[in-house]
Amino acid sequence: MEDERLWKFSKPDWLNSVWARNAGVYAAGGLFSAAFYVLLDSAVWSKSPSNGSDVHITFVDWLPFIFSSLGMLIINSVEKARLSADSFSYSGSGVAWKARVVLFLGFAALAGGMAGGVTVFVLKFAVPGVKWPGMNMGVENVVANALVGLSSVVLWVSQNMEDEYAYNLAL
Amino acid sequence: MPQAGLKTIIALSFVLAVGFLLVILSCALWKAYYPLLVVATYVLAPVPNWICSHCANPDDFVESSGAAVLDLGRFCTGFLVVMGLALPVILAHSQIIEVPAMIMSVIGGLLIYGTIISFAMFFQEEQEF
Repeated sequence: MEDERLWKFSKPDWLNSVWARNAGVYAAGGLFSAAFYVLLDSAVWSKSPSNGSDVHITFVDWLPFIFSSLGMLIINSVEKARLSADSFSYSGSGVAWKARVVLFLGFAALAGGMAGGVTVFVLKFAVPGVKWPGMNMGVENVVANALVGLSSVVLWVSQNMEDEYAYNLAL
Repeated sequence: MPQAGLKTIIALSFVLAVGFLLVILSCALWKAYYPLLVVATYVLAPVPNWICSHCANPDDFVESSGAAVLDLGRFCTGFLVVMGLALPVILAHSQIIEVPAMIMSVIGGLLIYGTIISFAMFFQEEQEF
């Protein structure tokens, strides 16, 4: 394993511990929750008496978040071990190829959700020149989609710590 | 060591009572009963972990689906914990509850959740030995 290493700096030991892995998964759930509630906050605030303008959150504002969550679900449902074409036992039946296609769809949905968040912000809030307390709703849309992306990155990284952990326990 | 365990249980129940007091005060002082949702959230927070740890088969290392189910439970627990923090903030931002009520319900919710977590930790330690 040490001979196949590509990078000069090796991963620190605590990164491979069970504790770091579990903390990563908890943090991913927390980040996703933060994304959802940031968006929910903009929707609730839009109907509250503090919103003086006639700009309101509609289904259009939720659409990018739905797409990024879908992408996150797809990305993290794929079994990571099937990705490496080096494992000749799986390359025969084309599982690695299928996994790459599904992962591509997932990343496309995630990136599309982020781009959609920026699009909603620009078209609905920035270009019509919404005044600042209302502008907050558009900013929260972008922040929510960025948080979903961050959450899926954290979940991905902490799931990739898994193999060595399972190896240590199996010994 | 039953003595230490008894003291721990008394201290934990005291903290739990203080937490409930803070949450109920934050509701009753302003006659807006939405912060009670925080209690439900924190009581529900360990449930996904508990269910998934019973579903998974930790001895099975060939197929790593057991670890995936455990991860799903942890993800849902993390979601619920942050939800307990986020709900009062949202309610206060939209002026449904007052800002002091938000602070009281957040602190009360954290106390309740801390009690649940430390209770689970103590029970696990007793089972191991």
